[in-house]
Amino acid sequence: MSFLTPLFLLGGLAIVGPILYHLVRRTTREKQRFSSLMFLLPSPPRLSNRKRLEHWLLLLLRCAALALLALGFARPFLRQAPVDDPTAAQPKRIVVLVDISASMRRDGVWAAARERAEAVLRRAGPADQVALYPFDRQASALVSFEDWNRTAPAERVAFAVGRLATLTPSWAGTQLGSALVTAAEALGENEDGKAAPGPRQIVLVSDLQSGSRLDALQAYEWPKGVDLVLEPVKARTPGNAGVQLVAEGPDSTRAVDAPVRVRVSNSADATREKFKLGWTALRNGNTDTTGELIGAPIDAYVPPGQSRVFSLPVPKGVAAPEVITLQGDPEAFDNTVHVIPHAQQRATVLWIGSDVAEDVRQPLFFLRRAFVETPRVAVRVLASAPAATLSPADLSGSTLIFLTDAVPADKAAALRAEVEAGRTLVFLPKSAAAAATLGALTGREGLALVETKPANYAMLGEIDFQHPLFAPFADPRFSDFTKIHFWQYRKLDAAALSGARVVAKFDSGDPALLEMPLGKGKLYVLNSGWHPDDSQLAVSSKFVPLLWSLLEQSGGVASFVTQYAIGERLTLPAGVNATGLLAPDGTTTPLAGGATDVPVPARPGIYTLTGGAKPQRFAVNLEPTESRTAPLSTDDLEQLGVPVARPKAEVVATVENKTMLQGIESENRQKLWRWFIAATLAVLLVETALAGWTARRATLRTEEVPS
Amino acid sequence: MVATSTHTALSSAKLIDPQTLMTIRSLELRARAVVEGFWSGMHRSPYHGFSVEFTEYRQYTPGDDPRYLDWRVFARSDRYFIKKYEDETNLRVHLLVDQSRSMDYGSKGYTKLAYAATLASTLAYFLHLQGDAIGLLTFDEKVREYLPARHRAGHLRQLMLSLERPASGKATDLVAPIERITTLIRKRGMVALISDFLAPLDRLEKNLIALTAGGHEVVVFHLVDPAELNLGLTSAALFEDVESARTLYIDPAVARAGYTKKFEAHCDALQAISRKLGISYHRLSTADPLEFALFGFLQERMRRGRLFRRAGSSGGGGRA
Repeated sequence: MSFLTPLFLLGGLAIVGPILYHLVRRTTREKQRFSSLMFLLPSPPRLSNRKRLEHWLLLLLRCAALALLALGFARPFLRQAPVDDPTAAQPKRIVVLVDISASMRRDGVWAAARERAEAVLRRAGPADQVALYPFDRQASALVSFEDWNRTAPAERVAFAVGRLATLTPSWAGTQLGSALVTAAEALGENEDGKAAPGPRQIVLVSDLQSGSRLDALQAYEWPKGVDLVLEPVKARTPGNAGVQLVAEGPDSTRAVDAPVRVRVSNSADATREKFKLGWTALRNGNTDTTGELIGAPIDAYVPPGQSRVFSLPVPKGVAAPEVITLQGDPEAFDNTVHVIPHAQQRATVLWIGSDVAEDVRQPLFFLRRAFVETPRVAVRVLASAPAATLSPADLSGSTLIFLTDAVPADKAAALRAEVEAGRTLVFLPKSAAAAATLGALTGREGLALVETKPANYAMLGEIDFQHPLFAPFADPRFSDFTKIHFWQYRKLDAAALSGARVVAKFDSGDPALLEMPLGKGKLYVLNSGWHPDDSQLAVSSKFVPLLWSLLEQSGGVASFVTQYAIGERLTLPAGVNATGLLAPDGTTTPLAGGATDVPVPARPGIYTLTGGAKPQRFAVNLEPTESRTAPLSTDDLEQLGVPVARPKAEVVATVENKTMLQGIESENRQKLWRWFIAATLAVLLVETALAGWTARRATLRTEEVPS
Repeated sequence: MVATSTHTALSSAKLIDPQTLMTIRSLELRARAVVEGFWSGMHRSPYHGFSVEFTEYRQYTPGDDPRYLDWRVFARSDRYFIKKYEDETNLRVHLLVDQSRSMDYGSKGYTKLAYAATLASTLAYFLHLQGDAIGLLTFDEKVREYLPARHRAGHLRQLMLSLERPASGKATDLVAPIERITTLIRKRGMVALISDFLAPLDRLEKNLIALTAGGHEVVVFHLVDPAELNLGLTSAALFEDVESARTLYIDPAVARAGYTKKFEAHCDALQAISRKLGISYHRLSTADPLEFALFGFLQERMRRGRLFRRAGSSGGGGRA
């Protein structure tokens, strides 16, 4: 038998107490009256020199109780071979999640994280199964369970450590929630899809910054039996300040040379609060800044735990500065913001019709008001009479042409040629007389437009929301067109216009809007006008978006966003036919022809889409949440149902420690001290009973023999 | 302690063992038994009796009572002399008896208090027979009872009743009763102090001085139980103070030497005080017969009387 706390055995020496008590007690029982104690001094108790002890059974019981108590406190256990440990035999499945988000670029964090991850890998038992998942915005397996199992057991750790060494922190944000979900799901299933037996564990090696996103966990039911062990790593110096661009809405009216607003945030554990903000020049088009500020910087005072917005004026006389730098913060990864201001786009719309511009009953009046100038787009509406000849100057800039009246055949042919070259023409017949022009435009014979006036009014009955024109209205909140009443329309037989696609129909079944591709361009036929004589369309809320949608479809404007965060998707507008992506370091990545959905590059900087009509530049920045580096509270994880286990103390592999740990484990399992305490109590009970009996007998004897 | 001469003088006398004596219930009977037996031994004593004895002549000075002129001396020498006598009648004796709890201890089957009461009553009876006036003052930590000195029928009985009271006090205070007796007794007389003197002696001396200065003859009877001499017991025990009920664990084997030393020192101190003040000191063991005490007392008195006379007699004289 061994003892966990053998020092408590010294308590067993207390049995000397009862022995002495039994020896001494006898001598002090007699009481002797004496005339005066004036001349007496108390003598120390003297042990009786008799060898015989009274009540030896009581003494034995008392000594036994004390000895058992001391033994119980010494935590005895029977030493067993550690092989008998049932938990040790059961193999664990462990997913090691390694955070590689941008915040891991802080000083000393990545090195510490790699060290921790390596330690975790090396701790794995021979029967354990380990997978290594690095994560930033998303987690993917660097070493999957299959890889682990495929490798020879002796080489597994080395294999995983080797893979780990290839990792470097990315520039992306931290989606901790989805990473945990990925890991939990990976743990949940075996290779053959069955639930895995044995304990399952996720070891999270991360800086656990408060900017980590946990939303994915909210709708996720955490599987039972999966524990999360945290291996937090810390930066050498606490605190971090970051700079982000204050997001501007699409309707922002900021002029190109207006001051740029940036938000400077300082983490709660920061020690600094004074910074400098300024524009910096790019070196060789790279993201690395020379550190030389252009113009005078502004002082930014941000107390720890707060964020403030500063307005940074654009320096005069410098061609388009594009980088804002925060100086004074040692953690450099989030101290730079790339800014590409929106350029105002110019578009021209050609109106061919007999309208008088300022006549409120004419469609042109409404068209001009729909295309009002915004900071992003300035639309010029050119009106020309149907009879007038087309001037090349008018045609060159305009991508969208409206035609309302019948035009001479040669002009119609010219217009058709323009459409075939790539422009969009919206044919908007004011009367049935324009049928011939439609025939000339489409090249179809025998087209007829019949003036129709419904008994009450007509509505748009059937709309193809899949069509790009109506796609913005696809949401049920916006898809109600029934409030728009049409008083009259020109009925066109859709069958006669072969090759045309009916985009919208009136409730009577007659086509309302048709689309017909002509060469590179498109021809739209809208069988009713928006002016009050024809319908209420112009006064409805759908009118302006519909016209802008037309303009966008025609390629007149490209709504291109110039500011992106890493991890977002880059949606290329219809007009941009980019073939390559020029990175800040000068490398060009080819893009698939006609690709509209391109992932945003994984490195912050200013990128250029090449190959289009004109190079389109855009800026890529860090996710703003990545600057929030204050530690995340584990309570937040626990609130979301993730059972967080504290990391165990570093296991030092010395023999003594191992033996001691085994001892602690055996003791915990056996819990022999309980038996000793129970035995103590039992002995004490017997002792009490015996002492009571002895005392009663002594009293009886005294009573029998009165003194 | 009583002198050895007493033993020789009383050897032929039939002494009563105190143990036997104490079996007599009545204090008066006890006293009588002692005194009667004592008389039988006293007849052969050369120092028998008290009388009106001539002490000295003094030259007559005008103003003296002419009744005391010795006319015979005048006839012979033609000078006037006055005859002086010892005042020995109407001796006023006050017995001061300690009745504190410490007196309530005895290892012989009777207590020191019983012994003291017997001693006091013996003295009282004896002196009463001589026609002296006897007074009594009992005390513990304060004065309990006081009977003025009288020679009257029934007074002796009352005195014995007082002596029979049990001990009640908690402590012994020797100072208060002496102070009290000093203020009470104006007339010169004899004061017999019977106690175990188990109390601090520091203030006793001053009060005894006051008493002797008042012209009183003081006799001290120091009662000692034999167990007090050598701690008596052999086994260790919790010793309980009979006065204060305080207990101490005492092992006699260890404590005896120290105790004896201290006790002897205490006795010696008391004796030294007595000697200094000319007080007659008698240490009595409660195991000793009472006759010793009585005899010692008388012997001492006679001796002192003789010494006194011898020192004071300057001229010749004869009986008036």
